[in-house]
Amino acid sequence: MTAVDGLVDGPVTADADPRRDVFLVSNSVDELGGVTSWSHQMARLLTARGHRLHVVGITPSAVPQELGAVPYPMTTLYAGQPPRPGRAREASIREEALKLTALFRAARPGAVVIVTQVWAMEWVARADTRGLTVIGMSHESYAYSRASSRFHRVRRWYRDVDRMLALTREDADLWIGQGLNNASYLPNPLPFMPQVPSARTEKAVVSIGRLHDQKGIDMLLDTWAEVAPRHPDWRLRIHGSGEDEEMLRKRCTALGLDGSVDWMGRTDDVPGALRAGSVFVQSSRGEGFPLALMEAMATGLPCAAFDCAPGVREIVRDGEDGLLAAVGNTGELARRLDTLMSDKGLRDVMGERARVNVQRYAPAEIVRRWEGLFGFLER
Amino acid sequence: MNEDLSQGPDVSVVVIVYNDEARLPTAVDSVLRQTLRSVEVVIVDDHSTDGSYEVAQDLARRHPGRVSAHRLDENSGGCGAPRNHGIRQARGTYVLFLDSDDVLERNACRNMLEAAETTGADLVSGLCVRVHVDARSGKEVKWYPWLYTRTRTLESISELPDLLVFDTLSTNKCYRRAFLLEQGLEFPVGIHYEDLLFSAQAYVAARRITLIPNRVYDWNVVDKGTTRSISNRRAEIANFAHRMEIHRRVDRLLADRGLAELKFCKDVKFLKHDLVLHLRDLPFRDASYREEFAGIARAYLESLDRAALDEVEPVHAICAYLLRRSDWDNLLPAVDTLTNRDKISSPLVERDGRVYWCARHLDDGDAAERALARHVLDVTELGHHTKSLEKMFLRNVLTGYEASAGTVRLTGRIVNPLGVVPPGARLTGELEFAARRKGVRLQTFRFPVRTLRHEGESLAWEASADLARGLRPLGVVDAVWDVRLRLGVDGVRTTTRLTACEPGLAVGDAPVRPRLTRLVAGRVTPEVSARGHLAFRVLTREKVDELVVRGVRGTPGRLVKSGYRKARAARKKLTSGPTKIRIYHEVFSRLPVKKRLVVFESHLGRQYSDSPKALYEEMRRQDLDFEAVWSYAGAGPAGFPADATLVRRWSLPYLKALARAEFWIDNQSYPLKLTKRPRTTYLQTWHGSALKRMGFDEPEWKLRSRAAQEEQQRVLDRFDRFLIRSEHDVRTLARAFRLKERTLLRVGYPRNDELVRAGRLEEETGRRERGPLAAELGIPDDRAVLLYAPTFRHRGGKRRRFELPFDVERFADEFGDRYVLLVRSHYLDHVVLPPSVRGRVLDVSAHHDVTPLLALADGLITDYSSVMFDYALLGRPMFFFAYDYEEYVHEGRGTYFDLLERAPGPVVRTEEELYVALASLDEQAVKYEEARKGFVAEFGEYDKGTAARSVVDEFFAHWRRA
Repeated sequence: MTAVDGLVDGPVTADADPRRDVFLVSNSVDELGGVTSWSHQMARLLTARGHRLHVVGITPSAVPQELGAVPYPMTTLYAGQPPRPGRAREASIREEALKLTALFRAARPGAVVIVTQVWAMEWVARADTRGLTVIGMSHESYAYSRASSRFHRVRRWYRDVDRMLALTREDADLWIGQGLNNASYLPNPLPFMPQVPSARTEKAVVSIGRLHDQKGIDMLLDTWAEVAPRHPDWRLRIHGSGEDEEMLRKRCTALGLDGSVDWMGRTDDVPGALRAGSVFVQSSRGEGFPLALMEAMATGLPCAAFDCAPGVREIVRDGEDGLLAAVGNTGELARRLDTLMSDKGLRDVMGERARVNVQRYAPAEIVRRWEGLFGFLER
Repeated sequence: MNEDLSQGPDVSVVVIVYNDEARLPTAVDSVLRQTLRSVEVVIVDDHSTDGSYEVAQDLARRHPGRVSAHRLDENSGGCGAPRNHGIRQARGTYVLFLDSDDVLERNACRNMLEAAETTGADLVSGLCVRVHVDARSGKEVKWYPWLYTRTRTLESISELPDLLVFDTLSTNKCYRRAFLLEQGLEFPVGIHYEDLLFSAQAYVAARRITLIPNRVYDWNVVDKGTTRSISNRRAEIANFAHRMEIHRRVDRLLADRGLAELKFCKDVKFLKHDLVLHLRDLPFRDASYREEFAGIARAYLESLDRAALDEVEPVHAICAYLLRRSDWDNLLPAVDTLTNRDKISSPLVERDGRVYWCARHLDDGDAAERALARHVLDVTELGHHTKSLEKMFLRNVLTGYEASAGTVRLTGRIVNPLGVVPPGARLTGELEFAARRKGVRLQTFRFPVRTLRHEGESLAWEASADLARGLRPLGVVDAVWDVRLRLGVDGVRTTTRLTACEPGLAVGDAPVRPRLTRLVAGRVTPEVSARGHLAFRVLTREKVDELVVRGVRGTPGRLVKSGYRKARAARKKLTSGPTKIRIYHEVFSRLPVKKRLVVFESHLGRQYSDSPKALYEEMRRQDLDFEAVWSYAGAGPAGFPADATLVRRWSLPYLKALARAEFWIDNQSYPLKLTKRPRTTYLQTWHGSALKRMGFDEPEWKLRSRAAQEEQQRVLDRFDRFLIRSEHDVRTLARAFRLKERTLLRVGYPRNDELVRAGRLEEETGRRERGPLAAELGIPDDRAVLLYAPTFRHRGGKRRRFELPFDVERFADEFGDRYVLLVRSHYLDHVVLPPSVRGRVLDVSAHHDVTPLLALADGLITDYSSVMFDYALLGRPMFFFAYDYEEYVHEGRGTYFDLLERAPGPVVRTEEELYVALASLDEQAVKYEEARKGFVAEFGEYDKGTAARSVVDEFFAHWRRA
């Protein structure tokens, strides 16, 4: 502890022990969604490396996600919801931030605070983080942030953190263009690596995603309407559920596709669903760093996808381990699908390459990059 | 990772200082406050005569181990020697340079280090920002930001020549120290512009270069104190000589390394930027300066690659050429055009069907020299020969100035390019004095031009302005008065500015009669603007100046200014789009709908054309009892019908008419945000059948969120009826706009009635009638008429001049005795035809309505334009010049059918093929007759020549007068 204050003027000597105290701060510790999955995956990975993790949430979640037993402590600041924005909220934030300060003060030198969502940063910003490294993250594409209130909040609250992390170089550069000169990036780790890849023999194209406007299933149906007549023996399997299901099914019927589209509902067995197909398709209007693509590639499926975000063109190397189409251009996506469906040899080559290439996001590699970043920010 | 101070820090920042004790601590502080802690500061003092070195030593004492201070034994007079010394003193793995008056961005070192370590680059470069420290609003200008939009790594500088060519700074960069030492990289000493050579050497030597979009360096710029004195001019010539020498050394470096392509890019940039910078000052300088300058520049110009002249705008090449030839008479006007982009400053000359900058040099020297002159001086593509006088901005040179007893006598010469002002023309002129004040119109004062007459290639004029009586400034708010000469030629007017940069020409004050008090405006004195134009500045007494400054900066000034700003903001808000939309909905839409009021619009108000025009004319022909309003956009209502009420699009009368109309008739869309009232009927005539995918079949539309799509659908659902000319339209347009079956009106296009009738008449009589348009265009009876009507092409970036995909001069040579070619480009494209094809190729782009042109043409050449569907009705030959079909189909939004299979005429890909196909119209007419009939049956089945009448019968029959 004492060493920290003495090092203001001079290069910091890193702790000889590479194991650190790491705080992961999110809106909630267990709300349903990608950030929660990411947080606990990272927490487990870092714990396995010997770091001391502490997962912190600001409020309890409305729709909790099943976490199972976790090998690290979890803390939630509020018992209910914080007051509405205004003076009461301000006072409450300051008060709750004291709890964070207490946690941070008890940490060993070299500790790191990772804020996964910008809303949570409003609390961390009011806590005393002297001597700690603070990292703020944006878990979506720049364009998606741009269209929401998070755009201004990211620019305000992450302005002075030690590092702001986007998901891709391209997103980071866009944030830098907005004056966030501390921006950099780190990709998400691969969620799982199936032992057995798909045999790619089933004549089925797989889609996995919520039935929500963002996932563009309406555009997938338009696409399929152009492909299906050329491949009468193929099926499109749409996994997922959501508010738009009825509307989408009507559209499917209107397009005369009922004979070749299967509505599979929500699946708990993603690896199984993927193994049962030969091609993966993604027709989203917007994405961050889509896990579904990574999972499909890990299962050995070649992907055809709309190039809707930097994360997509980062994961899929167009023409090498998958095929991309201009976002919204259903004719082009149809041609990409047609290419993959017509050529078993190409499917095999691209699918195998996908399985190999996606290893660059293997958990061990991503953890190595995180640890490298912790060290770098101390220099 | 263990750090040891003995190993040296990650980064050394070399801060050089010369007589800048006040700002040095700020620069050093910007390094000490870096987010990267492993940084040292190496201060090198170039033997200052103030306390800079003491300040440096003090900083070193206060930050031991982080700051060190060094001093050169004697002053070097440049940046090179101290920086070289700094490199030798540095211990860091990486080195940066910082000047004592600038600062580093807080994360600069961390970001550069991260980039260097992840890519292994020898050189990392980031964004530099010029901060204008004494600009009131903290003006900042990014330094070549287009080089720094994203992170990118170059294996060699030849991947991005622009980097070497434009970003010649050494300070926004981070160098691996071992790289500098291994390569022996040093700044040159004893010469200015050392950065240019150093950065070029570093770029060329670097094994890998990484660019980062991060702001790294703030270059503080002081704008004040830029007065030009004689001693300054001596220094300027010396600087220019240094600059040329550095350029020569960089060129040698590039040549040694075999980097010819980089040298070429650099030559282009030199012509476009470096030379321009110096040339712009020339008109303000005396003859001896000009000669000295030219002497230095000429030698360097000789070393440039001739091909570089083709890569720059004509005026740049012309200036370089004339400077080389020391042709001052023609160069100085050219420099005027360089400064004032659209100005026509030379009389120009037409020779052998081309337009040249000047007649001189065209016949000089040997064949090669003549060819070069004709190549460089050819300005045909600027299209000056096609402009009308009111669109010309003519050079007007002040030749005499004399101020006495309150009167200023002025004489001058206005250029008369290509004799645009004919000898017998009635000439009028007046001088206009207007206060220079952005956004405010103050009073203007006018004085007559006494004489105005032809004199050689120009118009000479004389005027006396009795300023003592005629110019009445307020003072303070109208400190500068611009002078313009308004020239009238047979009633057509054009405005000129008075070029008066010749040193010593415009000298002499004049008294004026102020409207308030002599204290604030007693006299005016001539001054010349940066663009070389004459103006007058109102002189105030010094004491008053001081008071005014105090007033403006103090409370009263603040109040006035804020009041003024508020008034302006209020006015702006009142006339803004959202306010107008509110007025439309909340005021105008409460008024009762006016029976028999019809609002017409074609192509968003740009034209009086198409089906709305055809319908309107049919309604007039049948003498219906109704009130017509036509909307127009752009310059003015020229070409719109005189018997209708004309309203400017988006004006309040326009919105009022729309809110009250019983019918809306247009062919594209009325403003999207305007809700149509239920009692208004919207007849959407549309403007053409579709080859390209439209509406919700376009990627852009599909991509929109559901909410945005629903909003779009509401806009489309305003159409009460939608005109259809075939079932193809039903399958494409109607489906793409998700229109309900009951809105579809299967009557054909009113605009095509004329074509169907013409086709029918021709078939019956076996004769083709030429209407009055042929005579109007001067087309002889013995020539067949071909119309070239290509579709609009989206090109990335700025709109550029539309290049015809074939050589018009060659076309004229081959077919000029048989055909007249009409060229109609899209209204967003602009085409220039050389004088050589006069009478053989005509630009008809300005004709509002394409239908009469179609009716006139004996054959059509198009690519993918929807005029093909209309022209087919005439049963005349059609040619499809689809030179970029694949690109158009695949990279664009896609098509509904394959034109290659269905085209009712030859599809050609090259100019050669086109000419072969064009050889015989008759042959093509016969060969494709069946194909054309099939095409019409498929895409124009409802076009029966009665569309307008059918629409009138269905909607307006009850408006017929008894």
